[in-house]
Amino acid sequence: MRSTLYILLAFGMLAVFLEACSGPDTIADLSNESYQLLDSDSSSIIFPSHFRGETTVISFIYTHCPDVCPIITANMKNIQSGLADTSDVQFVEITFDPERDTPSVLAEYRKVYRLNDQFTLLTGQPAIIDSLMSRLHIVAKKAKIDSLQQDSSDYFMQHSNTIYIMDQNGRVRTEYPASVVPPENVIEDLKKIR
Amino acid sequence: MVLICSLLFLYACSSGKEQDTNPKEDVIPGKVELSDGWVRPGSKGMMSAVYLTISNGTAKRDTLAEVSSDVAKRAEVHESYKGENGMSGMRPAPNRIIEAGEELYLQPGGLHIMLISLNKDLVPGDSVEIDFSFKQTGTKTVRMPVKAQNP
Repeated sequence: MRSTLYILLAFGMLAVFLEACSGPDTIADLSNESYQLLDSDSSSIIFPSHFRGETTVISFIYTHCPDVCPIITANMKNIQSGLADTSDVQFVEITFDPERDTPSVLAEYRKVYRLNDQFTLLTGQPAIIDSLMSRLHIVAKKAKIDSLQQDSSDYFMQHSNTIYIMDQNGRVRTEYPASVVPPENVIEDLKKIR
Repeated sequence: MVLICSLLFLYACSSGKEQDTNPKEDVIPGKVELSDGWVRPGSKGMMSAVYLTISNGTAKRDTLAEVSSDVAKRAEVHESYKGENGMSGMRPAPNRIIEAGEELYLQPGGLHIMLISLNKDLVPGDSVEIDFSFKQTGTKTVRMPVKAQNP
């Protein structure tokens, strides 16, 4: 009777240990999915297979966003600079606003915020971007501001504010409030997921 | 001679009286100060944001009525806010009141000046002049540095 209890206890501890080692659960498994996108050089990128084998920090932005999106980008850069070793980590920012954020506009954003080669900025056909956003529970909707209505092309967006970590196999594992999460929190999880 | 002196004396008295009754000449003790200002970089035709602290060191409440700059088509006070389900949004925040002795903080993720449709590229190292028009204390012009991120 006592030996059975010890065996059960040992199995229980093993389960807890394995859970701790494997890190957080999967939020979305994209490993068998494929989204054809474009980077800021207009090169075709198949997401997420392009990033297979590397842990990827993912956020969503749009370049006409003057306040919150630059904070998200700054936070991504802070995560990058806080990592002692970034050799197997990629940083991806996907636009909510593919109509205006063409590859050349994303290239300007990359230049303005001095993003290095570990950053990939992605846009694509609106339907494909919508599909990916929907899969990751990202919401963005156009919002007109009265003072801007004289310019019919001007709009802002209400949008989700999320950073994800995707593991080497295309599984999205963790999520954070993008503009306010302390970089250390993301870095700590990256160490578990890598 | 006596007549000329009398006329000069009367003129001096009358002009002094005019100055006293002109409301534009009211002196407001203390001053409004603008500090810690910085501007986000941006490309021509795009947006940027301006952040700073406005301190109302006068004995009267004041209102930030208008903002403008030669570097942008328009400048407006906006506010980022957190909506339902963690959504981020932005809305205009005109005519912000600054009570006497208080400060108004324009910071990333909150109140900010939005520079709409930049007339030129703004890159770190540049500086930008911004005009702030207050209802009580008039217009102040401040030159602010362009920075990617405030340290």
